[in-house]
Amino acid sequence: MTAQGAPTVTTPTAIASTLKERVEDFLSYEAELLDERQFDRWLDLLDDDIHYWMPLVRNFEHSRPQDEYSRQDRDAAWFDEGKPTLTQRIKQIQGGDHWAEEPLSRTTHMTSNVRIVSATEDEIAVKCRFLLYVNRREDEVRLFIGKRADVLRVHGDGFLLRKRSIFLDQSKMLFKNLTTFF
Amino acid sequence: MGYDSAGGGLIDTRTGMIDRTIFSDQAIFDREMDLVFGKSWLFVGHESQIPNNGDYFLSQAGREPVVVTRDAGGDVSVLLNICTHRGMPVCRYDKGNAKRFTCPYHGWTFSNTGELSGVPLNSEGYGGKLDRSKWGMIKARVARYYGSIWATFDEAAPSFEDFLGDMAWWLREFMMGPDGEDDGLEVIDGILKNEIPSNWKFGAENAAGDLYHDVSHKSVQRVGLALTGLRTRHTWDADKAKFRMLNITFPAGGHAVRGNLYDVAGRDYQSQWGANPEVDAYFRDAHFARQKRIGERERLLNRGGVVFPNFIYNAANRTSVTSYVPRAPGRTEIWKWIFVPKNAPQVVKDVMRHYLLRYTGPAGMVEQDDFENWGSAQIGAESHLARRLPMNYQLRLGGHAQWAWPEPWIGAGALVDEGVSEHAQRIFYDRWTEMMTGQPQAFRREAAE
Ligand code: FES
Ligand SMILES: [Fe+2]
Repeated sequence: MTAQGAPTVTTPTAIASTLKERVEDFLSYEAELLDERQFDRWLDLLDDDIHYWMPLVRNFEHSRPQDEYSRQDRDAAWFDEGKPTLTQRIKQIQGGDHWAEEPLSRTTHMTSNVRIVSATEDEIAVKCRFLLYVNRREDEVRLFIGKRADVLRVHGDGFLLRKRSIFLDQSKMLFKNLTTFF
Repeated sequence: MGYDSAGGGLIDTRTGMIDRTIFSDQAIFDREMDLVFGKSWLFVGHESQIPNNGDYFLSQAGREPVVVTRDAGGDVSVLLNICTHRGMPVCRYDKGNAKRFTCPYHGWTFSNTGELSGVPLNSEGYGGKLDRSKWGMIKARVARYYGSIWATFDEAAPSFEDFLGDMAWWLREFMMGPDGEDDGLEVIDGILKNEIPSNWKFGAENAAGDLYHDVSHKSVQRVGLALTGLRTRHTWDADKAKFRMLNITFPAGGHAVRGNLYDVAGRDYQSQWGANPEVDAYFRDAHFARQKRIGERERLLNRGGVVFPNFIYNAANRTSVTSYVPRAPGRTEIWKWIFVPKNAPQVVKDVMRHYLLRYTGPAGMVEQDDFENWGSAQIGAESHLARRLPMNYQLRLGGHAQWAWPEPWIGAGALVDEGVSEHAQRIFYDRWTEMMTGQPQAFRREAAE
């Protein structure tokens, strides 16, 4: 099923009627799909032109706050992905032979502080905070906390994710791997 | 196997057995810091990180924190990032530009070449008698090699070129652009740092020459990563010319290179970036330019290797350097620099950056499985029961390797085995033993017998 053809309505308008409720619902649904390991259905929520980006965080003197995050399209990043490479990453996880995710991690994604920054007929810019708890094998725990800036594209009665920028609150990655999606 | 915290008796490369405690024992780890890291030349960064006078960045020389600076005259210093008064790191920013660093505790001020230039209350408190020339930051010996910057705090260490021995050419070749131009790389801004629950040597021995661990990377081979149009992770998988897979070691220093020696000189270019014609065209031109520039050695594709003990590089279009920062027997910080050819068109730089970010580091589709497996190997190194059994390094044991072979230009100091072999790992641990015990390595003993 291609993204453009996918149904993206998750909640009847009768239940979630305001734009904010519908956006929150979309973000929760997306997180739920990841936590339930319904990765193909999560991919269906991504626009074909999605840019999925997680910059590095550096420690700079206070006069250079603009340099704290690595620059888009130039610098290193933890993730700098389009839909084809996100699809590859999903396929890697689904094969049973990707040892870093075999057995699969248990994850819980939480989003809060959802705020609509701007909205046109076609696009909605949303900010939120996230907390991602990852637990795998016997005793491995990873906790990722940070900020997200998303752009949703209006699609039929629902949305597709057009852009996701993930600002993690850690400079050195405190864990061995980054095998989960945000 | 006998236990000996000096490192003797733990390693027997003639039988291919290594005691697991070298990965887990605190006393051995502490000795490694002095005898291996303390006496080696260590990679700290690249000149392109400090293009302008006054530029600096923080790095690690093994476990020691350092500031790498370019002074007003353009010279490079590597300073231990420790205040000589009470030990504070004097610089706390990942990078920047500064003529001097002022310690946040009591305000001692050091120039970017390490001299103590200012002391609060100098005349009232010290009667003007503090000998500032004795209290500068501790300065490392520095070597600059085709763009790479190296440091050692050991005054007695050999020169950098002696330390490299015949590895020198292959390190120089790694620092070239794909077209064979010396010092042809630049760093992509942003060092990837993460931490793995494993001993630093699991990564280092892997880079020395573990051509046996394909199963680790089964998933990425299945999915595909390189832009060749094939479902594999390396660009050279698309080059169908015949080659011999070599484990090249330089036993005197413990260094190693993994290489493909192609049968025929001057082989044609076979599309390796087919998914992007512009990028493919760049690499086609570079392929022939490299053949012209470097002569007969062009037959060897330098895939990667190790400069002993902890400089790990991946070459062959995966241009990156990994430095293992040992924090504890079972805890290692990974610092990773990714490089692109500095004279390439922007589209080539962009495509390589994306390929590298998907390959390496904690989000890399290849290295995730390495980190996972090294972390798991640590469980076996720490198991008291498993310690009754040494680890097995017997793959292709027994005198297959030959000196300066199959081509003399690989280097007179090169001891080379072919195919899937743990030869390079045995040589790595021979050198480790030599540094830990002061006893000559097996290969030196054999030469003397
Ligand atoms: S610790 Fe640096 S000035 Fe005192
Ligand atoms: Fe590997």
